[in-house]
Amino acid sequence: MSKRLFVTPYRCTDCKNCEVACSFVHTRNPMKPALTRVRAYTLMGEIKSVVLCLQCEDAACQTVCPTGALTRNPDTGAIDRTDACILCKACTMACPFGNIHFDPAYEEIVKCDVCGGDPACAKYCPTRALVWAEEPSPDLDPEEEIEVMPLPWAMTMPAK
Amino acid sequence: MPKDRSEKVRVTIDGRSIDAEKGKSILEVARECGIEIPSLCYHPGLESFGACRLCVVEITKPGWEGWKKLVTSCLYPVEEELIIDTRSEEVRENRSVVLDLLLARVPESDVIRQLAAEYGIHDTSYTKREDADTCIMCTICVRVCDAIGANAIATLSRGPDKYVDVPDKDACIGCLACALSCPTNAIPFEEFVNGKRKIWGREFDLVYDEISHEPIGTPEQIDHFAEKSGLPKEYFLKSDKVRKKETAVTFARVQF
Repeated sequence: MSKRLFVTPYRCTDCKNCEVACSFVHTRNPMKPALTRVRAYTLMGEIKSVVLCLQCEDAACQTVCPTGALTRNPDTGAIDRTDACILCKACTMACPFGNIHFDPAYEEIVKCDVCGGDPACAKYCPTRALVWAEEPSPDLDPEEEIEVMPLPWAMTMPAK
Repeated sequence: MPKDRSEKVRVTIDGRSIDAEKGKSILEVARECGIEIPSLCYHPGLESFGACRLCVVEITKPGWEGWKKLVTSCLYPVEEELIIDTRSEEVRENRSVVLDLLLARVPESDVIRQLAAEYGIHDTSYTKREDADTCIMCTICVRVCDAIGANAIATLSRGPDKYVDVPDKDACIGCLACALSCPTNAIPFEEFVNGKRKIWGREFDLVYDEISHEPIGTPEQIDHFAEKSGLPKEYFLKSDKVRKKETAVTFARVQF
């Protein structure tokens, strides 16, 4: 079975490391945190959860796309936005989960591509609310020490 | 055009031997290998049209006894033993003429001026068009509108008077895809003027999200996409940000 991103909302602390990591990896200079593909939320003041593209089997964005620009990447299992996009924005309107957006500054559709098979959001999640794995992660042992990557402030901008 | 993606053909581009998928165009194969060929009317999501003639390349084959010919790489499919030169003297000269002519047509376009400068042309040697806009007749907008299924944009008239317009204003759904895809930004539009959107001389109302009051799109656009995709119309009536938050609530509810 291929790897997927597993979300465990009760572990999420809304620290927004995932958002920062995502915008570092995906947005061009200058970095734009508003265009992160993954979002962490605090709901009703206490409940926290993280949301990102579900890479649906039967995806509304793919159904509505007139040019077939959204294609499933066989290596990562994610639906990737390709250059065939004509910017009709039908996908951003059709996604029932609100996980595909339009970037007005660079005039392009932005969506989670699981960073080509190595999602930065999961890498920098300190509480394992987001896990990139083949199986859902077992319940967290409070005694267990979690290996956390250093915060993404030290990441270098990818050349684009 | 049916494309058999399983078969491979061996071509040579700029001296590099490449195994290319049969049915693909020279331009597609070259770009996959990182060989840059300039183009204006080519769009990966649309059928190639060969309007701009900027992507010309020189081709030859071992059996051609030294004969060469220039073809538009966006339309010419790769063939076995094809030898392609993307930057010969002849190719450069042809592109220069094309850019010189384009510069006469759209003297104010930054995109064309920049491209022409790369080929050493800073001012056109032809007579500049009077009252020129920046349309280069690449017909990307026509093909985009066709792909979306609205079929509102068409080329009208013929010869030097040919222009792009929307003959039936009611056919336009106001999605702005044409304006955003235009390589020379020749299609003017206005957003949020008194809460409306203006394009092709028509004013469109905007549907706003009930919770966040963000604009989603025009009612025509929503109806068109819902009908064409077969998805329920409710899918199209909320903004992406509101939906994302709703998904977060669902995620949390599943857990607690």
